[in-house]
Amino acid sequence: MNRVKGLVKKPPFWGFVAILLLLAINLAKDPRYLAITVSPVTGNLVGNVIDILRVVAPILLIAFGMCLVIATGGIDLSVGSVMAVSGAVAMQYLHDHGAPDSVGDALAAIGLALGVALLVGLVNAVLVAVVGLQPFITTLVMMLAGRGLAKVVTQGQNTNAVNDPMRWIANGYVLGIPVVFLLALVLIVVVAVLIRRSALGLLIESLGVDPKAARLAGVDRRALLFSAYLLSALLAGIAGLFATGSVMTVDVSQTGYQAELDAILAVVVGGTSLAGGRFSLGGAVVGAFLIATLDKTIVFLGVPASATPAFKAVVIVVLCLLQSQRVRGWIGQAGARMRAARKAVA
Amino acid sequence: MHSTTRITKWSTAFAAGALALGLAACSGGTTPAGDDGAGDGGAEGPITIGFVAVGPEGAWRAANEQNVQDTFTAEAGFDLKYAPATNLDQKSQIDAFTSFVDEGVDVILLSATEGSGWEASLKRAQEAEIPVILVDRGIEPDDPSLYVTRLAPDNVEVATAVGQWASDTFPDGAKYFTLEGPTGVGVVNERNEGFDSVIGKRSDFVKVGAQTANWSTEEAKSVIETVLKANNNDIQYIFAQNDEMGLGAVQAIEEAGLVPGVDVKVSTIDGTKNAMQALADGKLSFVAEYNPLFGDTLLEVVNTVLAGGSVDSQIIVPSTTFDSPEAAKAALPDRKY
Repeated sequence: MNRVKGLVKKPPFWGFVAILLLLAINLAKDPRYLAITVSPVTGNLVGNVIDILRVVAPILLIAFGMCLVIATGGIDLSVGSVMAVSGAVAMQYLHDHGAPDSVGDALAAIGLALGVALLVGLVNAVLVAVVGLQPFITTLVMMLAGRGLAKVVTQGQNTNAVNDPMRWIANGYVLGIPVVFLLALVLIVVVAVLIRRSALGLLIESLGVDPKAARLAGVDRRALLFSAYLLSALLAGIAGLFATGSVMTVDVSQTGYQAELDAILAVVVGGTSLAGGRFSLGGAVVGAFLIATLDKTIVFLGVPASATPAFKAVVIVVLCLLQSQRVRGWIGQAGARMRAARKAVA
Repeated sequence: MHSTTRITKWSTAFAAGALALGLAACSGGTTPAGDDGAGDGGAEGPITIGFVAVGPEGAWRAANEQNVQDTFTAEAGFDLKYAPATNLDQKSQIDAFTSFVDEGVDVILLSATEGSGWEASLKRAQEAEIPVILVDRGIEPDDPSLYVTRLAPDNVEVATAVGQWASDTFPDGAKYFTLEGPTGVGVVNERNEGFDSVIGKRSDFVKVGAQTANWSTEEAKSVIETVLKANNNDIQYIFAQNDEMGLGAVQAIEEAGLVPGVDVKVSTIDGTKNAMQALADGKLSFVAEYNPLFGDTLLEVVNTVLAGGSVDSQIIVPSTTFDSPEAAKAALPDRKY
């Protein structure tokens, strides 16, 4: 009983409940919602769950990076723009130089794109860690500059390209599971192990809780900030490749547009405070899955386009309310009062 | 605790400051100052034209805005100030518009990213006696007294052609899905209106649903992927309101193991090169052109207005449609966008 109570207090629990609830709603609309079948034409696994796995991949990556940056007491508003830049570089390169089936060209495009993404991350890191600018301002500037850079790279066009290896990475399957999801899974497991099995996570938390105390304790602030911002940009760069690779087109004004908000939402839903300090990587994973499920549910249920933002907002507000200890206290009190009243009547 | 509140306060202030600076920089950059009173009669020097544009949005917009820029060149005696919106943001457009009015340009061309909320800005231009010509995008509510003329292909007419084609192609009706642009944009409503004017009369056409994909290929693919599953692939026709979304739909159809053009037909509006190629390959079934290249007509209108002549409050630019791979192949070599 106590364990259940402890679980209820953990914010990711409610995110998890929300996901199950959304899936239940979809099931109610169509009993075969969760069914996974093998496509007779392509031989791949097909199903709504598989679609969610593919959609969640980029969100997982940016949410993970965002979680670490937020834990240091910062924020990274530039992830959406980094997605656009990375996608733009890759697509433009493949458009100009790529042979349709060359693995080498795909790798070159990926390398180039991630290089540019890291460059944006480096600027963020230098401005925050060395110059000492506010993370909010720094990454806001890079958010505007990044999208501008993407437009320069493609000369304002929505460049498309043909390259089968790249398309396979974004759309292909291994053992029936989307490649993007497997890649994202491997990446976040590596990062999570690196952070939670070493003192790195603890050091990042100390930085977020009290930077002064951390410095006095000998924590290398700069190195930590550099790794957080660089990692966030790198993961966003990969997310950008996933997003653009799925249709082999970069849309300079839409790719990754407002993705930073999705990432922040995933992190917060997962129970990490925006004030920095203690963070929950598992929570970010739950948050990312919630957003992906929510997006897919809206389309599956056929919520009218005009009502979509409101529907999303309601789900998230209810979730945040359930996570708030005070609101849960009120609900508990109301319940107790009702029970007491019933007893009095009896 | 105390220090956190202070930090929050500071960061909010900084954020507001940075935003203001950013916006100022944007509008400043697009409308270089030091243009001394070209609006006062403009007898000497080139005619200044302020173009409040949409900016990068897709191939259609790029072709349209390039065409306008190529028309009003310095050689032709014009000084065109091109001000694209930052990320399709209306605020940045209003800022650019206001600074054009303050500068006193001779004519303002406006392609609004959003239809509503332009009354105050347009009245200001009117008070400054600067004629405003709407290029492509209209305003809502449509009040012709606020502008000189709107020059555009007619969305309703183009979408009616799509509806007509769908009606002829599916004599026994069909289950169809509509991929819309961003909610609230005038184009979306007009394209729906034209399409519904034909299909709305056909009771054998069943609208499975409509969803926005924000003109984007990636989002359209994701939407159609789920819509096909939600309906057991029982959809015969997808009406995509622009080319990019139609191309995304085609990819989703292919990945569902269906054949675009056979199992599910997709029609699009715009007529960009990529869409024509897809039509030539048989992946799209119908492309209705929404002609972006009307710089010549625009030039005539601007000259007439500057000479004090009057023009109609609505000028429709003619567009064509392509309904077969052959028609697309014939048109492909000359496609400029």
